[in-house]
Amino acid sequence: MKYTTIVNNEQFEVEILNDGKVTVNGKTYEVDFLTLEESLYSVIQDTRSYEVAIEEERGTYEIQLEGRLYEATVLDQRALLMAQRKGGLITSSGEVASPMPGLIVDVLVKVGDEVAQGDTVVILESMKMQNELKAPRDGVVQTVSVTTGQTVDKGNLLVNIIGDDE
Amino acid sequence: MTEVIAKNIQKVLIANRGEIAVRVLRGCRDLGLGTVSVYSDADRQSLHVRYADEAVNIGAPAPRDSYLRMDKIIEAAKKTGVDAIHPGYGFLAENADFAGMCEDEGIIFIGPSAHAISVMGDKESARRAVKEYGVPLIPGTDAGMRDDDLIAAAREIGFPVMVKAVAGGGGKGMRPVYDEAAFPEALRLARSEAESAFGNGDVYIEKLIVGGRHIEFQILGDHYGNIVHLGERECSIQRRNQKLVEEAPSPSPHMTQELRQEMGEMAIAAARAVNYVNAGTIECMVDHNGDYYFLEMNTRLQVEHPVTEMVTGIDLVKEQIRIARGRHMTPTESILEPQGWAIECRINAEDPYNNFIPSTGKIISTITPKGPGVRVDSGVFSGAEITPYYDSMIAKLISYGENRQQAIVRMRRALSEFVIMGVRHNIPFHINLFNSVSFHAGRYDTRFVEERFSMRTYEAEPTEEELETIAIAATLHAHHARQKAAQVIAPPERDTSNWKWVGRYERIHR
Repeated sequence: MKYTTIVNNEQFEVEILNDGKVTVNGKTYEVDFLTLEESLYSVIQDTRSYEVAIEEERGTYEIQLEGRLYEATVLDQRALLMAQRKGGLITSSGEVASPMPGLIVDVLVKVGDEVAQGDTVVILESMKMQNELKAPRDGVVQTVSVTTGQTVDKGNLLVNIIGDDE
Repeated sequence: MTEVIAKNIQKVLIANRGEIAVRVLRGCRDLGLGTVSVYSDADRQSLHVRYADEAVNIGAPAPRDSYLRMDKIIEAAKKTGVDAIHPGYGFLAENADFAGMCEDEGIIFIGPSAHAISVMGDKESARRAVKEYGVPLIPGTDAGMRDDDLIAAAREIGFPVMVKAVAGGGGKGMRPVYDEAAFPEALRLARSEAESAFGNGDVYIEKLIVGGRHIEFQILGDHYGNIVHLGERECSIQRRNQKLVEEAPSPSPHMTQELRQEMGEMAIAAARAVNYVNAGTIECMVDHNGDYYFLEMNTRLQVEHPVTEMVTGIDLVKEQIRIARGRHMTPTESILEPQGWAIECRINAEDPYNNFIPSTGKIISTITPKGPGVRVDSGVFSGAEITPYYDSMIAKLISYGENRQQAIVRMRRALSEFVIMGVRHNIPFHINLFNSVSFHAGRYDTRFVEERFSMRTYEAEPTEEELETIAIAATLHAHHARQKAAQVIAPPERDTSNWKWVGRYERIHR
């Protein structure tokens, strides 16, 4: 099976062969991929031994290797075709979702505002702390779905930011 | 001194949750005491409930409905017939009313007197109390002074100074002034800022501590008037006044045996100001010249108490109980020579890549580091739910070594072994911190993390090899998941039913 896998915005062509071998961008490795428990794997790539933890969140994988966090998307050939049709593989979402349940203390943007990546858009209070939620990308605020004083659940969409040209 | 009667403690209620409840439970168990835990509806599955001999539900998840409900905790104490209550830290630990209520009900409060809690709990009364004992305070003025008097006072204190609004808070109405020429303008601005923000333009001034380090002294006192200190803890690695890493002893170049003795005596004097009994902590600020000032006293066991335990060999929870029983405490002298070095990392469910936003969810898997010189005080386990109701600190990782270098090396090893899946956490922050040159050199102050540290400074770009490994793992994970899903929905090509086949498949792949 052939896949296109994007890790931290870098693209890899990965093919899974039947005899326990995997090719990545043309290089072939012998890979022993053992499930230790739900979402925790032991990987022996040729002779190098790793432990990786993989979690799925809204279609992307969050992967931990040696204390470090990576983001990956895996597309099979059909998904790749669809993604290419939608225009480009590597675009970042402009959705600001609530990372936890909490209270909206302040909404700092309104529809039509121009924002830069890293600008604070919403302040959410949870776990005794005020948390600044930031714009994940540059663009224009398309929707604002909450108001000050509202309580939200984990995963609620708060603000959506789209590119200037979309 | 009033006559002390030895008190009988057979059973202890722990009025707390999370890692500290587990820590206190362990101390009680080591002493052979019976244990009672209290828990909210959100904590039924927690370790402190499962480890205790008895457990009592005290209400809804929000702290004000459970862990802060004094009436329910006293009721649970009576129902289970405990002799004493240990409050841990946070919640009711520094609540003088609660300590008084325990006393009234004939239950021993494992901590200081209600009087000591209330005097030290108020900044003004604490400063007044310790001042008489010659404890150095950060020089400053009273409120309500006129501009020319403030200028004279600033000259006497010496620049730089901080102009602070009396009604201030959250950094508003605060202005640093570095020389006299800038003072009148800064004063005018601070007054108008305070006027518009709080409707009160009154300000006072305080010496600005440059390059200040947060260094605190552990105190123990018993009912016989003995008070000793157990050396210092360095807590300058902080973010927004939340401590993240603590170590004992302090790596500050100023921290010599002489300074330890001098500050330790000052800490004992401060504790004596309220006839302090049980474990407590004197928090100080030490400036770049090595001058030190009293900040406040914490009248409880601290989060970071394990680092002191590691370098002194004293079990602080056991000592607390011993003292509460009316016995003499074990240490008879202050500790001026800590043995070895200990460092603690607070493991918080906070995302260091995203402005340290707290993260909630279910811990789906965790592997705790072990091995020589490693201690983990933790409340988490596979299946634990991290809820938004409580503090985001979920575990403490403590390393010990013969010297600081060895403690750092062991901490780095332990951090790389630590796996927590299901919530975002700050282990990557600690890994980066322990790679930083300033931290290694012990050159840091309380502003270090916020002003001079970034996750990007010390995190090298991932290598192509690492990215390839990630690509392989992600692809195989996705491939297996999709194959499994495809087999479940594929049309029956086999003569047996799909359900039977799924059962077999799962048995094979278990």
